Amino acid sequence: MLYISKSLTKLLGELKKLPGVGEKTALRLAFHLLKSPANVNALAESLLEVNNKVRFCSLCFGITEDDPCAICTGDRDESIICLVEEPQDMLAIERSQSFKGHYHVLQGALSPLNGITPANLTIAELLRRFAQGNIREAVLATNFTVEGEATALYLTRLIKPLGIRVTRLAHGIPTGQDLEYVDAATMQRALEGRSEL
Amino acid sequence: MILNKIYIHSFRNLEETEISFGSRFNVFYGKNAQGKTNLLESIFLLGTMKSFRMARNGDLIKWGADYGLLKGWVEKENVTREISLLLEKQGRKAKIDQKQVTKLADFFGSLNVVVFSPEEIAMVRGMPDARRRYLDRAIFSGDASYLRLYQEYYKILKNRNTLLKNGDTNGLDVWSDKLAETGARLITKRIAYLSEIKGLLGDFYSNIAGNGEEAGVIYHSHLPDKERLLADSGALLREALTKSAAEERRRGVTVVGPHRDDLEFLLNGKVLKHHASQGQQRSYILALKMAEIEYIRQRFDYPPVLLLDDMTSELDRERSRNLMEFLETKQMQVFITTTSLNNVMLKDAENYCTFSIESGKVLN
Ligand SMILES: [Zn+2]
Repeated sequence: MLYISKSLTKLLGELKKLPGVGEKTALRLAFHLLKSPANVNALAESLLEVNNKVRFCSLCFGITEDDPCAICTGDRDESIICLVEEPQDMLAIERSQSFKGHYHVLQGALSPLNGITPANLTIAELLRRFAQGNIREAVLATNFTVEGEATALYLTRLIKPLGIRVTRLAHGIPTGQDLEYVDAATMQRALEGRSEL
Repeated sequence: MILNKIYIHSFRNLEETEISFGSRFNVFYGKNAQGKTNLLESIFLLGTMKSFRMARNGDLIKWGADYGLLKGWVEKENVTREISLLLEKQGRKAKIDQKQVTKLADFFGSLNVVVFSPEEIAMVRGMPDARRRYLDRAIFSGDASYLRLYQEYYKILKNRNTLLKNGDTNGLDVWSDKLAETGARLITKRIAYLSEIKGLLGDFYSNIAGNGEEAGVIYHSHLPDKERLLADSGALLREALTKSAAEERRRGVTVVGPHRDDLEFLLNGKVLKHHASQGQQRSYILALKMAEIEYIRQRFDYPPVLLLDDMTSELDRERSRNLMEFLETKQMQVFITTTSLNNVMLKDAENYCTFSIESGKVLN
């Protein structure tokens, strides 16, 4: 669309590959960058640096600069492992400071529609970690979507026969939420999963 | 629930307009192809985000315009909310009180509409999917959680079908279990809905048809063993999936489940499609719609608005009169299109607002 500059057109094309960025946002970002050359250098450098230094941990598949990562080598409870779909899910759980065990990033969830089968996830690597014998509990923290639930069920069938306890994150009404605003489906799930006091 | 006012901009052939409606009967009259049904369709769209004529956005937006805009002011329990629907070539954007609505489930229920139009007769004679669509939509309007369940089921189904098509059995049983579990919940809700409206359907049919005929409806599942269908549909569906494994492998699709189920419309115990006249079929569908309205009224304490498209061509004189008399006893807002005001029986004139429609122009 911008015949005046081939390189600008190329930049727009690259920006639009990013999630959530459409034509309008790409243009806004590109023109913003054009106006501030100092930012451009810093951004370009950090992009390259991240690309060079950050990698997936060979044990847990979380993101790290040192392999294995600080969590895998840290002083944490080795008997419990939390299974998540993506590295950002692991960060979300870490932010809560309520989990002291290890993690395993599956790198996705089962989704035949999108071509994701068990072989595309890091399940073989996970089983290898179980084989080492220290893990007693697996916490399934996949998303509460159709794909996440199917993945949880698949993993349960795989892990339980190994004599490992399998648990699932509770789901229901968010903390700080007024009951009157909770949607019907969430309410239904919360009632189904109610607990005795 | 009352639609007090509507604003229409670049929609079909209609000229930009803002119309205030009466709380009882609103009659749109005019010659054919002037825009009466378009007006009715705009109300349906505001309630459901869909067209009852299965139209795409390109057809809905006025010729030559970039977008169309519909706004409605809906009064419910003494609160008026503004709902709006922006129609663009790429999609539809809904707002409630000027705030963007991202989830379909949040939009449903802000304006409940039930439509009776000439197209509905396809439901009797056509393929099962028309009847399933009717049933599912009727349930959404009374039960917001049904939409999520429905979407989940179809997502599971598509994933499972992909595995079957690829001949990939690794993980198939997980999707089978999920399908059975979610499908069973869907079937249970459908059957519960039908048993709630069954009695209403019978009553309304006798009111409209005015004779001793008996209307009924049953849920027709491909699953065997009707006895267990209600009590144990999950296990039943799971067994049926196992039994149909060979056929599934051959055809590459899931052959049992609520996505294959159907409704059977009955009149005096006989299948409506084969044993009833066109007049009987139309009365039946209308009674079904009235039952849906009553169901929503009982659940929420207010009735949805009723849209009657080209009613008089649909029902003979006696049935039309029965219907109008019956509707006059109901506290609800009704929108009617007709070619001539004489076709609509006006008993109590102060209940009626009339609008003539000529070449897309609405005249009060
Ligand atoms: Zn690690």
